[in-house]
Amino acid sequence: MSNAKTVRLFAAAALAAVLTTPAFAGGPLQVASKVLTEKKAAAADGTTRVTLVPTKKVVPGDKVVFVLDYHNTGAQPLANVVLDNPVPQELAYRSAAQGSPTPEVSVDGKTYGELGALHVRTASGGLRPASLDDVTSVRWRLASPITAGAHGQLAFQAVLK
Amino acid sequence: MIPPDPSTTNTNTNTNTNSFRELSPMFVNKVRLLLLSGTAVIASTGTAHAAQTAAGTTISNTAQVTYTVNGQQTTTNSTTSTFVVDRKVNFTLVTDQTTSTKVNVGQIGAVTSYKLTNTTNGTQDFLFDTAQAVPLGILPGTPDFTLGNIKVYVDTNNNNVYDPGTDTATYVDELAPDASIEVFIVGDVPATGTSNLAQVALHATVAAGDPNGVKGTKGAALIATDLNLANADNFVDIVFADGDSDGTAYLGDIGRNGQAIAYAAYEAGARNVALTVTKTARVISDDVNLLVFPKALPGATVEYCLTVNNATLGVNATNVVLSDVVPTATTYVPGTLTIGLPGVLGTTCTLSTLGSTTGFTGAFDASSKTVTATIPTVVGGGSVAASFRVTIN
Repeated sequence: MSNAKTVRLFAAAALAAVLTTPAFAGGPLQVASKVLTEKKAAAADGTTRVTLVPTKKVVPGDKVVFVLDYHNTGAQPLANVVLDNPVPQELAYRSAAQGSPTPEVSVDGKTYGELGALHVRTASGGLRPASLDDVTSVRWRLASPITAGAHGQLAFQAVLK
Repeated sequence: MIPPDPSTTNTNTNTNTNSFRELSPMFVNKVRLLLLSGTAVIASTGTAHAAQTAAGTTISNTAQVTYTVNGQQTTTNSTTSTFVVDRKVNFTLVTDQTTSTKVNVGQIGAVTSYKLTNTTNGTQDFLFDTAQAVPLGILPGTPDFTLGNIKVYVDTNNNNVYDPGTDTATYVDELAPDASIEVFIVGDVPATGTSNLAQVALHATVAAGDPNGVKGTKGAALIATDLNLANADNFVDIVFADGDSDGTAYLGDIGRNGQAIAYAAYEAGARNVALTVTKTARVISDDVNLLVFPKALPGATVEYCLTVNNATLGVNATNVVLSDVVPTATTYVPGTLTIGLPGVLGTTCTLSTLGSTTGFTGAFDASSKTVTATIPTVVGGGSVAASFRVTIN
């Protein structure tokens, strides 16, 4: 009974996701968001191989990787590209994903920079250095334009609270 | 759950680096730095556990993108990726008493206490059953009796004490995340036979909570989701994360099975027994009537009879010492102290005599005029009598 209800709910969410895609089909820059989880498997040589797989099973404490896939579908280079990704509040930002440039981070959604330069206001009115758990948004500013037809990926890791 | 995305295939992170070939060395350094500091923070926050994200929560991620094309600024959004938080089933069941429950033979409703704590990221029901076969070595001693009429009750009124008639629920209904509740095993101790030690096991199984949090319905036991099934990502998957409650040395419980076991014992051992002493007096003879209807005249012989009764069935009273001061105006008749099983009421006080193989010992202390009888054992439900004679001065 409860399962049936849940399924219906998710089906609706999936539909919504599908429907939003055509809305930015017109722009030359297509950005797809993906969420992946780590899957550990024993390899034949005795080591543990960690691969990223589409998220099926995520429970509190698990690490997830949010990936932004961008693709310049237009004929013109795209300059000054800024990708701003608010971190869902149920997740704690941990780092850039392996192979991805490090994003600037923000603890208030306004000021971005390196984590060490950021501060959080405490209950007593003072300031304390920001920690990873305080990060609310990450932002990438691409240094060079995305040439026509170019692809790229940006990704960060977070832990489900 | 993932929105449909044809490009989403099993991606190894190592293959992604192709996309970042134009990275400056500085970027790479920063990545390494952040990864290191990230690991440190994870380790330090591991113990201080904040509230977990509830199972069923849908988490969505969308990025905002701005860029310029031909000098004109444009804004767009990424697609939205979503996933649903699954159910991480975890709970603990511990024995909530440090010693065995002390019981009397024939006791009705003897209680052992346990504490159940739900650390799942969702509200759960819990089901119970009991066993009276505890793996050897978990608890000390060898059990020699089992409880009758054994039941499990939940501390409905949350006072950590079993209240008969009030704590009547037999399963835990809608236990919130991080909440605890007391659970009791209640059973009857048999009135006959040897009853020294009983061992019991409380077995808890996690069950589905009501989707709307409404109390009153017993959920079905949870089954971990088989992720090899198609569309498993469309459900709130159930992941068992519970520990091995009795340790790896015992097979009663194993980790990640959605179950837990706790053990406790009932002990009928060193404790008080219901011991009573009755004293009667009987005139044996007097100088006038001799043995026929003797009267308590001066010079008459009177027999005192002390009977010790142990009313606690099945439990022996040991080292019982009777002492009785001879009444004033009477004189103890030497050698008349006898101790043994009770005789016929009103006729014979005891059946056996002092110094027999029973191990009874007795003495008369002339200075304090006290008769002392030492009885090694009065068996549960049994009696031992001691008698002595005095003459009236």
